[in-house]
Amino acid sequence: MQGQYNTADTHKYSVILPTYNERKNLPIIVWLLAKVFREHDLAWEIIVVDDASPDGTQDVAQELARVYGEDKIVLKPRAGKLGLGTAYMHGLNFCTGDFVIIMDADFSHHPKFIPQFIKLQKSYNLDIVTGTRYRSTSTPSLPDAQPGGVHGWDLKRKLVSRGANFLAATVLSPGVSDLTGSFRLYRLPVLRHIISLTESRGYVFQMEMMVRARALGYTVGEVPITFVDRIFGESKLGADEVVGYAKGVWSLFTTV
Amino acid sequence: MARAHRVAAFTLTLVVLYILALFSFVPVPFIDVNSSHQILPLIPWWLLVSFGSYSLWCLGWGIFTFRDCPEAYHELLKEINDAKNELRTKGVTVD
Repeated sequence: MQGQYNTADTHKYSVILPTYNERKNLPIIVWLLAKVFREHDLAWEIIVVDDASPDGTQDVAQELARVYGEDKIVLKPRAGKLGLGTAYMHGLNFCTGDFVIIMDADFSHHPKFIPQFIKLQKSYNLDIVTGTRYRSTSTPSLPDAQPGGVHGWDLKRKLVSRGANFLAATVLSPGVSDLTGSFRLYRLPVLRHIISLTESRGYVFQMEMMVRARALGYTVGEVPITFVDRIFGESKLGADEVVGYAKGVWSLFTTV
Repeated sequence: MARAHRVAAFTLTLVVLYILALFSFVPVPFIDVNSSHQILPLIPWWLLVSFGSYSLWCLGWGIFTFRDCPEAYHELLKEINDAKNELRTKGVTVD
């Protein structure tokens, strides 16, 4: 489908990056994003939604805006730590692109997969493309997709992950293999619509967005991604989170 | 109508039909009464065991096919280094 922009592919891609204490990671993730967009000749911008980080994340964001351009690195701070869902809603107010990419700023999501997301979206005219850690091929099919995977998880963590996914798949039948993933490409009006309906918080928020998208009839594709967890430090998953997850699945089952 | 309601309605229909057949209020088509009396009481247990087996298979297969990606980790470390070097020359505070 043709876009309205005066760019190489007639589209523009906005990345919403919620940050809290990402002073060290932000320059590098911006560098990686800029490199990928430049190499693939894509029009881009990054909306940095910072929740009043005490470590100087906003200063680094302004330095990056000086280097890459104020129109490319857009800093839109907030007064306090207000949560992920509202961060996306806040960021959406300032997006000037027609597609939105959401991802984590801690290197667990690598920008190199973004061109594949875009390619899948264009090939099948999809509303949403999500990254999956659990598949080796993309759905619908894309011939040059590499297998996904995770680095940094031990056997116990993998078992918990598979168990959680099995629970969600059985109860919710969501049609995607990775329900808690948060590396996604959305059409802007689609994201706006879904976010206006979403009520939960935390990672259940990501799950709810996907389940609602499917219920509303939006088309979703998946691309395998590699997920490097906690590059500096250990990956922990406590009992509280497990219970919270089960509750989240139940609440989605009964409300959507 | 939420998914829970759809699932509940569907399950309720099946359960009612099952109970009607079990207590012989309704005959099961194509199967004589004696055979159905032997089979029907076992169906719930069969469903339970089948689901349990299927779940275990899914988990086992999922663990077996879970990919590690050490190459992604090393590539990322290298890129972080490159990024830091280039950004330093442009005057961005890194580290």
